Amino acid sequence: MISVLKNRHTTISLIVVILFGFVLFYIGTDGFKAFTAETARLKELKEEKPVFPQVTMEDSKGRTYSLSEFENKYVLITFLYTSCGTVCPQLEKNMAELYERLPQYVGKEIVFLSISFDPTRDDPDRLETYRKAFGSDGDTWRMARIVDKDELDLLLERFGVIVIPDGNGNFTHNSAFYLVDKTGRLSEVMDYTRIEEAADTIATLIESEKGNKK
Amino acid sequence: MTSFIYGLLLYFFLMIPPVANLVESIMITHMHMQMPFLVIAGFLMGKLFQQRFPLFFKKWNSNGIPGITLFLIIIIYWTIPRTMDEALTVQSVEAFKFLSLPFLAGIPLRDSWSKLSSLGRNMVIVIFMIKYFGMGALYIWWPSQLCNNYLLIDQLTLGWGFITTALCLLFYFIYLFMIDPSDYE
Repeated sequence: MISVLKNRHTTISLIVVILFGFVLFYIGTDGFKAFTAETARLKELKEEKPVFPQVTMEDSKGRTYSLSEFENKYVLITFLYTSCGTVCPQLEKNMAELYERLPQYVGKEIVFLSISFDPTRDDPDRLETYRKAFGSDGDTWRMARIVDKDELDLLLERFGVIVIPDGNGNFTHNSAFYLVDKTGRLSEVMDYTRIEEAADTIATLIESEKGNKK
Repeated sequence: MTSFIYGLLLYFFLMIPPVANLVESIMITHMHMQMPFLVIAGFLMGKLFQQRFPLFFKKWNSNGIPGITLFLIIIIYWTIPRTMDEALTVQSVEAFKFLSLPFLAGIPLRDSWSKLSSLGRNMVIVIFMIKYFGMGALYIWWPSQLCNNYLLIDQLTLGWGFITTALCLLFYFIYLFMIDPSDYE
């Protein structure tokens, strides 16, 4: 009898432990959805839809402007630095592919913008070379830097871009396609490796807006 | 009592901000140094709790299974990439790390390990071996960053750290089954 009783208590505590574990994992991963801080960040961004802050950009042609330059257009943004040998070339290559998939909208409904977070090295000359390498035309797809450090940090923070310098002139950073809508709010953060999916999302958004206007 | 004091000293030592910052600045020391030491601190402190509340442990953890399950849950939880990141950026998660590893993993481990049969112990080791091979593979071959606060190279180092630990467990097993200690007595 005593052994049964003992086991009963142990069974109860085992159940309590398992329930605790379930709740812990559930809370810790947003209901088994976000196992990395990056997925959690994307989820949060999609809910928050932060506004693109007032920052001054300088592009590869030396022109300076803020986001209002692209009024009434969607802006597809990526963040990069030109000295990067790993993710950025892939990111820009994918961006070029996305650009080619949306010829009917580019320039009219949407512009592409690559923003460098390494303004000391990425001056307009360097951005110009980089622009040519990826076949961007410099108008409907621009490459720009944000000279003011505070403005740059504000934008990176608001869009959840984490950039860690490794001390050798390189950075580790997270990458994605950021889509800013016509009102200047972040509307989508898309996986930069899924080009077709991103193209579909953008086309659907633009078409549905056209439909609403009619 | 002495072991409790050693455990407590170790615990406080790990809590000193410069010490915590230093080990947390490198991914592999965060996971394979700070976290195990926190468990060890709890393990050392555990004896006093066992002496103070013998009935509690006897009643609720008579065969060691609930305790070892709790230990496993806490350890697995802290190998999720996100929890490591958030320990660095969210204060409450960091606090939970310092509470859960010694008190919900270290103490239950001490109380449960001696109660487990050798089959139970071997099962725990097998679980860890599989998990560490798996986590190692994940951290090494995952194409992008898993933790936003660490460099990719840190991620690779941690991956190989996992594989090394898993290999040690494997060697232990080979030893266990190949060698009969009585041959050498």
